[in-house]
Amino acid sequence: MDVPVQEVIRPATIAEALAALAEREDARPIAGGTDLMVQLRDGRRRAGRLVDLGRLGLAGIRRTRDAIEVGAATTMDAIAASAEIKRSFPALASAARQVGAWPIQCRATLGGNLANGSPAADTAPPLLIAEASVTIASAAGTRRLRVADLFLGPGRTALTPGELVTSVRLPLDEPAPGERVVERFTKVGPRREQVISVVSLAGRAVIRPDGTFALVRLAFGSVAPVPVRALTAERALAGRRPDAAARRDAARAVQDDIAPIDDVRAPARYRRIAAAVLLDRFLQEAARG
Amino acid sequence: MADRITITLTLNGERRSFETAPGRRLLDLVRDDAGLVGAKEGCGAGECGACTVLLDGAPVASCLVLAASADGHEVVTVEGLGRAGALHPFQETLVTHGGVQCGFCTPGIAVTGAAVLARGGDAADHARLLAGNLCRCTGYAKVVEALDDAAAKEAADAPA
Repeated sequence: MDVPVQEVIRPATIAEALAALAEREDARPIAGGTDLMVQLRDGRRRAGRLVDLGRLGLAGIRRTRDAIEVGAATTMDAIAASAEIKRSFPALASAARQVGAWPIQCRATLGGNLANGSPAADTAPPLLIAEASVTIASAAGTRRLRVADLFLGPGRTALTPGELVTSVRLPLDEPAPGERVVERFTKVGPRREQVISVVSLAGRAVIRPDGTFALVRLAFGSVAPVPVRALTAERALAGRRPDAAARRDAARAVQDDIAPIDDVRAPARYRRIAAAVLLDRFLQEAARG
Repeated sequence: MADRITITLTLNGERRSFETAPGRRLLDLVRDDAGLVGAKEGCGAGECGACTVLLDGAPVASCLVLAASADGHEVVTVEGLGRAGALHPFQETLVTHGGVQCGFCTPGIAVTGAAVLARGGDAADHARLLAGNLCRCTGYAKVVEALDDAAAKEAADAPA
């Protein structure tokens, strides 16, 4: 069945795309369509005009002096396969490899995963621990926004009509000599592939030669109205070793960082337990290296 | 009634144009406008893989692809993989390994598997790469064995 739209525009430049978005209040950008097509079909989102982003050249991964820039139309498959991403942001590569299954990964884009605004967006926790930001373009100009400020609630983002995410910037953060980095993304669901996360965790730990944390960043998906940094748990761990006492304190602290709900995928209580378990596993891995 | 749009793409190696609705899904373009009914609609939400086709060589859920997005691109459906008497190597091994039962999921599986073979890579990834194609009859062991076998045969046939 056709999705209910009146027109499709296929602009060749970003300027044309922004004009096409600005022209009609009910215009929406479409990239891979893996979320939007279902939402349009089910009437959960509406669009009179779709502006297809496929010709804008927004796909690609580029390393600059101090960051990696990922074009908004870069697919999950390309992110998961990128040597640059695997080396510097392995949690993001791992998350991209766990979005849906391969045919979804070949189509779904990073910009789309963010703009869709799902609390379960798998790329969000890795971007939060990378302290990434998005570049947003509109007919009025461009602005930069931290990923941490992008999500406002389930399906809601700080993007206003006419705005388009064009790229995501991940600042490179090289560890000091002798420090080791442990970075992971894990998600819990009823099967390994093709699931919406019930709980997901991205963690980045930088560990000094004496075994203490030089840095620990944690972010969760599907346990709050938006993907969240676990700042209370991070503070409970700061400067410590990931030993049993620290892990116990973190498991307790993380409960203040999350606000899960009961829904069709899991009860809130399960999500609280699973969040603590994922965190504990990550910290044990950090201890082992 | 929305205005109709023209979509021109390469379908199974042939350049084709279609006058169709702006909200057309690639799945409906292939099935209803082009009459190629190999790709099936299972869930219509990208979860079952029965509608998988290749878009520029990559497997995609055609129920989630706006047909207009495929304008100018190359689409291959199961009808373009092989035909009776000249099956694709993975279609051959699906038959010899008994990886087909009711057949509803088979076109999507054949297309995804063909993409796996074209890409090459580690057989350890085969099950993961096929995980987006659900089968409710045979289970997956025979399907994965068929893909492993096709990949092994291709490697053996490749010039050194």
